[in-house]
Amino acid sequence: MIVAEVKPFEEIMGMLGDSRKILVLGCGSCVTVCMSGGEKQAELLASAIRMAGNVQGKEISVSDRTVLRQCDAEFIRQIEDALRRYDVVLSMACGAGVQGITEWMKNVVVLPAMNTRFIGLSDGQGRWVEICAACGDCVLGTTGGICPVTSCPKGILNGPCGGNKRGKCEVSPDIPCAWVRIYERMKELGRLDDLKKEVGAKNWSRKQMPGRYAVRP
Amino acid sequence: MPKIVVPPCQAACPINTDVRGYVAALARDDADEAIRIIRRVNPLPSVCGRICTRHCESACRRSQVDAPISIRALKRYAAEHADLRVAVNPVPRAHTESIAIIGSGPAGLTAAHDLALLGYAVTIFEARPVLGGLLSEGIPKYRLPKEVVQREIQDILSLGIQANTSVSLGKDFTIEGLLKIYGAVFIAVGSQKSLHPECEGDDLPGVWSGIEFLKRIDRGDSPYPGEKVIVIGGGHTAIDAARTCIRLGCPDVSVVYRRSLAEIPAGREEVEQAELEGVKFIYCVAPIKFSGEGRVQRVTFIRMNLGEPDESGRRRPVPLKDSEFELAADAVILAIGYIPDVEDLKRDGLKIGRKGTILVKDDSGITDIEGVFAAGDVVTGPMSVIEAMASGRKAAGAIHRYFRNIPGSLVDNRVSLRALDEPIAKQIRKVDRQPMPRLTISARKDTFEEVDLGYTREQASREALRCLNCGAGASVGINCAACLNCVRVCPFGIPAPGPQMAEIDISQCQACGICATECPASAIRLSTDDPDALRRETEMAIRRAHEENPELAVIGYYCRYHDPIGPPTERDELYWIGRCCTGRLHESQILYPFEIGADGVVVSACPGDECRFKKGEYWLAEHVQVARTILQQTGLSDDRLVLIGAEDDIAEFFERLESLGMNPLRKGKRLEHDRR
Repeated sequence: MIVAEVKPFEEIMGMLGDSRKILVLGCGSCVTVCMSGGEKQAELLASAIRMAGNVQGKEISVSDRTVLRQCDAEFIRQIEDALRRYDVVLSMACGAGVQGITEWMKNVVVLPAMNTRFIGLSDGQGRWVEICAACGDCVLGTTGGICPVTSCPKGILNGPCGGNKRGKCEVSPDIPCAWVRIYERMKELGRLDDLKKEVGAKNWSRKQMPGRYAVRP
Repeated sequence: MPKIVVPPCQAACPINTDVRGYVAALARDDADEAIRIIRRVNPLPSVCGRICTRHCESACRRSQVDAPISIRALKRYAAEHADLRVAVNPVPRAHTESIAIIGSGPAGLTAAHDLALLGYAVTIFEARPVLGGLLSEGIPKYRLPKEVVQREIQDILSLGIQANTSVSLGKDFTIEGLLKIYGAVFIAVGSQKSLHPECEGDDLPGVWSGIEFLKRIDRGDSPYPGEKVIVIGGGHTAIDAARTCIRLGCPDVSVVYRRSLAEIPAGREEVEQAELEGVKFIYCVAPIKFSGEGRVQRVTFIRMNLGEPDESGRRRPVPLKDSEFELAADAVILAIGYIPDVEDLKRDGLKIGRKGTILVKDDSGITDIEGVFAAGDVVTGPMSVIEAMASGRKAAGAIHRYFRNIPGSLVDNRVSLRALDEPIAKQIRKVDRQPMPRLTISARKDTFEEVDLGYTREQASREALRCLNCGAGASVGINCAACLNCVRVCPFGIPAPGPQMAEIDISQCQACGICATECPASAIRLSTDDPDALRRETEMAIRRAHEENPELAVIGYYCRYHDPIGPPTERDELYWIGRCCTGRLHESQILYPFEIGADGVVVSACPGDECRFKKGEYWLAEHVQVARTILQQTGLSDDRLVLIGAEDDIAEFFERLESLGMNPLRKGKRLEHDRR
């Protein structure tokens, strides 16, 4: 699931500049799940902007609203009239949502409240870890389910480099060597022989941007 | 017919009292709201608050944790401490029909009350000189003061009900005669003829009927039963008779019951109080003969073994062969039960059943005489006051439908919640039940002063706060993003991931509200918590604060579980709002006062191991931290917000506030706030 975090408050206030009528638009999907851009957070951000604006003596009016998703035109069009009432829409969706509004709502100024971080895995209450790089050429089947692209700083595909020290990566002792983990896992699975098969170079053309996907090619 | 889910206390109540509602009101120290809720269904709250047999408490799920909520005592508190003095005015006549009610006990009074509220003319016919039935004559003053009874009866009569006393069925009027004047007759004469055990000698002088004995006391008589009194029976009448004998000075009083303490109908609490007053109890024994020369002098008893349960569910007493023994006694009081006195009723043509009670079609009280209804003890045999009230209510409904030609039937479509799961019950903090303050034994011994003194304000609040709010907890709405945060934060582990969204078992939820606060989609609602109500309360506090303290206005939030009747500390410029758990305060709620002009906010947390739920103080600290960061970022200064422990000193905080000065937002106009 996409994990995003709110930009530093000063940066947001800087972007808003002298805008007077602001809509903070939350998103009910990914950013709700990672608790950074859902209805609760939209309400809170609107409140903070309102207070900061007033302290700075600005004539400012801030509202907040949340839609289920911002990456589908239908959900944006449902609130089309509302969006046009504001000088600026501060979107708490990931980059896709911000651009969705840009794409479908001509003449609406939309700003990103978030820095979109990664595709993440839940790591306990309130915590997420980057786990998938969306490389487009998944090799998890060859590595026992552990991703060498995200777990290995070098992203190598055929075993550890010479830098690992007692199972820790040379980049930082906090990073376990991905390939030691992969080895141990494949050993548990009784598939060590599979590790001897060579995995070819990654097909990075899959990552040419903008990527496209269609159900029917 | 769809079922409605009600908490176990309400489901057990014969008159469907919203127990949870009024207990929650008392938890907020709001006796007015509590009595309003009680009076929706109960015209005799002070009476019930003293003598109701408390079906609710037997069903209360708190007993799975420690002890049931003291619901009856809370009802009494609300009845006696509400400032709300409802002006009772005669109800305008909505219909032309009139009803005669024979008998002014709880069944008759409740029916009269209901019919008057429906707009009928009601006239009560009472054989005794006072209204109230057993409430006025039969239940001792030390349990139910007569002024209390008369006051509540007056309130009922003030609805515009006529009452005639000292008029008896058979002597002064007949049912046939009444039917010529009234559209319907409702018989609620109760059950007042004492049953006698099948024993030789039960007509000896010195053998008294328990209920007659108690009535004599309430009529002003002061009989002296004897030096060695034996009371036969185990219900309230028996215990009342025994405790009354103690007050009359009888030195040796025993209660003999044929089953054991576990089965005794009067309940352990009554037995305990009686024993404290000096009454002795003998169990598993029944009389077989009363003997004496000229008056009773001895009673022969036989011991009982308790066998298999009978139809009442209680173990059947079986005489133990050759176990007879004798006890000396110069007075015997019989209190093994009573039946209605049906002679006059038979004469008027009513059918009497095998058990000696009036036969009716069903709960609605329709007899086989057109226009004649019956309910209460005269139909059911002796039941509790609350059951008689429910019976009177059903009959009143039936009479109304009879007049207005409305088809209808009595359907109880309530369904209760299941019991608390063991692992949940184990996690709930135990809190002792508030003891009822009582007169000392020496103060009781020779007076009929009321023994139970009633809860203090603090006791009532503390006891009400023990309520688990069964069934009033969290529910998940369609905004749920299935983020599973509620599943992870719930202190009791109740939300579970469903196929589409989180699912919360309403029968187990403890209504702490932490999931609702932590839900990023604002998808969880708590029935007990209205966020709009908090906003309004905050707005009212700010308005008052600005009027009274224009220079400095501070809002405070404190936890009621820790401080039931008032905030932990007081200051002129500090306006407190009580919350049932401050752990569920969200950042937005903590910051809202600043938006509307507070100069500072104080939030009080419970000490680490004392949270009524669990870890409320942890969540609160998190939210205060975020709120402080936002205050700093917005230029308002995080020093304006402080989190204190209940014992902490806030002088330093106020000093800092004074140097910071007024909230800069106060200088501008009212902040615009447009939420959709």
